[in-house]
Formats: sequence, structure tokens, C-alpha cells
Amino acid sequence: MTVLLEFREKVKAIYSRYEAFILPIVKFLLAFVVLTTINRRMGYMTLLNGHIELVLIAALTCSFLPSGGIIFFAALFSLLHMYALSMEVALVGFCLYLLMFLLFFRFTPKDSLVVVLTPLLCAFRVPYVMPVAMGLLGTPVSAVSVGCGVVIYFLFQAVAGNATTIGTLGDEDATAKLRLVIDGMMNNRQMLVMVAAFAITVIVVYLIRRMSVDYAWTIAMIAGVMVDLVILLVGDLLYDTNMSVGWAILGVVLAVVCGKIIEFFRFCVDYSRTEKVQFEDDEYYYYVKAVPKMTVAAPTKTVKKINTQRQGSSSVGRGYEEDLLYDRPRSVVTERTNRNAGTSRTRADYVRNRTDRQSNRSVTANNRAEDLEDDYEELF
Amino acid sequence: MLNEERIILMTKMASYETHEGKKNMQIGKYFRSDYIAVQVLKSLVCATISYGIIFALFIFYDFEVFMQDIYNMDLITFARNVLLYYGITVVVYGVVSYGIYSYRYAKAKKNLKCYYQNLKKLNSLYNE
Repeated sequence: MTVLLEFREKVKAIYSRYEAFILPIVKFLLAFVVLTTINRRMGYMTLLNGHIELVLIAALTCSFLPSGGIIFFAALFSLLHMYALSMEVALVGFCLYLLMFLLFFRFTPKDSLVVVLTPLLCAFRVPYVMPVAMGLLGTPVSAVSVGCGVVIYFLFQAVAGNATTIGTLGDEDATAKLRLVIDGMMNNRQMLVMVAAFAITVIVVYLIRRMSVDYAWTIAMIAGVMVDLVILLVGDLLYDTNMSVGWAILGVVLAVVCGKIIEFFRFCVDYSRTEKVQFEDDEYYYYVKAVPKMTVAAPTKTVKKINTQRQGSSSVGRGYEEDLLYDRPRSVVTERTNRNAGTSRTRADYVRNRTDRQSNRSVTANNRAEDLEDDYEELF
Repeated sequence: MLNEERIILMTKMASYETHEGKKNMQIGKYFRSDYIAVQVLKSLVCATISYGIIFALFIFYDFEVFMQDIYNMDLITFARNVLLYYGITVVVYGVVSYGIYSYRYAKAKKNLKCYYQNLKKLNSLYNE
């Protein structure tokens, strides 16, 4: 476990250090995957489908825009593909996006990425990750975003499923085209069952993970996927939604795995050291349960430059300047570990402690340095 | 001389100001009734546009049948039904918006109160 915790600290340190580069790269990759998936699944406009450079330009633009940029470009690409198929289909798509924007996204602007990620995961046949993840990280309102994502996926499905029929209809059958897409969505029982299952899963996971019981997050994700699976199976039995049970089981297993990863990074606590305390003040009695977080400091490499004292040079600073001038720095790499976290002490720690006890001077690192009675200057 | 407590407090406050605080300060400029009224009004406009879109799609969905029936149907009853559904939509959406924005206003005020307390604390640290 200590190794994992150290790994987590390292990941956090790397992220906080290179956040300015990591975030745009992640956005770029996400936008690229989303736009490529849209092109591959719809691909009616040859201008977009045949030119990867357009996708790259759009993805690059998304990399420095806020996360809403990915939604904008995804919506734009899908609408252009729909427009290439038929103007009426594009009209239905536009109306649906507008309705979602006006009615739902006003309340959940933070969850905008969910609306993109849910159809993407649906396309990869593992959408069960989303409700569990949002139940763990979000609020019950996230159920709306997940539901919207499912609806968008089924809009794409309805368009792709009826594309051949729509292509054969002429301009005079405008209402027939409209009907095909709307019916393809509204009469799709699978969509309704999935929206209901995911919304209930988000709420169940959220409610359980907020409870003050031990292992609440683990219980929440397992209960969530069970509820999800049961609703989907019942829906399949009642409405014959042609759900693939194998993919569903694989999906919920993946959802639990992802949930555990999220838990590791967001809510890693040690229940074995739980403390329950009770106290009072003038107005209240307090029954407090305190669960300590599992933390460990990542070992850091510290480079110390050791400068030999020159004869006749009285100051340390001068010796250091000479070393810099003649390019003669001496460096020793030591490793610092967190003693409180129970990790073993290194030899360097031992030497450092010994010399610290002997004198108040700064750190020593090897025997040769002691022999020469050098002055040491800690640079980092 | 660096004061660690002061630096930690200032870092926390700066982080709050750049993220959540910016939005909360915007909310904090309003009185509760004004903020909720503006937001509910925006919601009503959104609900009206949405209802218009859904109504248009409903008409175009079966446009030929609608055009055939338009001369036979009781237009006043039809208009009354349309307005009734519009009223229900707007009222339900307005009530939901009222609840959400009341909650948000209360939350923002609570956070701002905490922020101002931290400001006072910081001021007292400087005066020490």
C-alpha cells in the first residue's frame, strides 16, 4: 500500500508541476478521440470525414479553450454531418441541443464534459462507468448530465440507423425525415431504460457514499452497479431492449475498477484508525467520527553541491563562485523519506542525523567530505 | 519575516477568489429577492423558447394532418390547451429554478461569510 501511496503522491506532484502542459494535452486527446469517433460513426460530410487536418485543428483549438469548447466542436461536427445527410435531421439535432442548453446546462455548467464522455463511452460499449463516477465525484444533479449524454448517443444511433432511408427520401418528404429521427428516439425503449437506470444509479451512489459508514465509497459503487444492472435487466425483460448481458457485466466490473481508482485518488482513508469522540459546548452535543487519510510523502531527490574550501579563501560564497568559474561542482544525491509514514530510513538520513547531533552545521554526506573538512552549502 | 499562518491563509483565500469566489462575489452583489427574481426570469425565458421549439417540432412532426385538421378543429380549445400546457411547463420550471437558485444563493452567502471572516483574521494577523 505504501508503494501505491507513494505513486499517488508522485502523480500528484507531477500533475501540479506540469499542469500547464498536461491539461491542454488531455483536452487535445479527448477532443481528437471525440471528433474522430463522431466522424467514424456518422461521417456523412466528406469534407470533415476525409480531412484529418480539420479534426487536428479543431482538437488543437479545444486544447486551449475551456472544456465547453469540446462540446461546441462535438455539437458542430455532428450537426454538419446531419446537415450533409438532410437539413431536417440537422434541424432536429439543433433543436435537441438547444433544448438541453436552455433547460439543463444552465444548472450544471460544471458537468459539461459528462455530456461528451457519456456518448463516447456508449460508443465503446462501456457507459456504465459514467453514472458510478459521477455519483462518486458529482452531485445528484449530475444525473441530468448523464441522461443528456445518453439521449445524445441515441440521437446519433437514430440518425445512423435511418440514414439509408433518409437518403432515399426526396425534398418533398421533409416531414417524413423529421418523423423518422424523432420516432427513432422517442420509441426507443432502450434509451428510456438507460436514462432511468443511469439517473437512479447516480443518485444511489451519491446518497450511499455520503453516509457515515465505513467503506461507504466501496459500498456505494457496488450498490450502484447492482442497481444499474438490475434496472437494465428488468427493462430488458419488460421492453425487450436487446441488451447484451455479457457487455453489461463487463461494463459494471469496469465501472467498479474505475470507481476504486477514483476512490484511491479522492478518498483514500484508513478506517482501522477511526476515532469517535464526543464533546459539548453551550449549544450542542457533538458526536464526531474522524477517519484519518492515508498519506505518505513521496521520496524526493535532493542535490547538494559540496564546495571544497580553498586555501586562503575565508568565505564559503567565494569558494562556491570559484567552483562555478572552473566548472568544478561536486554533487551528492541523497534521498529524503518521510519518517512519520513508517518508511525505512536511508543511509543518507542516518549520516545526516549523526552529523546534525554532532554540530549545528549543515548536512554532510560522505566520509571524504568529512576528511577534507570542507564547507558545505545546501543549494536546494 | 515570513508568517506561515498568514501565507497559508492568503493562499487559501487567493485560491477561493480565483475559482468559486468569483462567482459567489457576483451573487453576493444582489439582494436575495433580486438575484432569485433575475434567475427565475431567465428561466422563464428559456422555458418559453424551449416550449416554442417543442411546439414547432410537434406541428412539423405531422404537418400534413395538422393542416387538414386545422379547418375542422376548435381553434379556441386548441389554443387554450396550448396555453395550459405552456403555463404548466413554465410554472414547473420556474418553481424548480426558484428552489435551485435559492439554494445557490444561500450557499454562496455562507461561503462569502467564511471568506470575509478569513479577511478579518488576516487583518488581525497583520496588526499583531
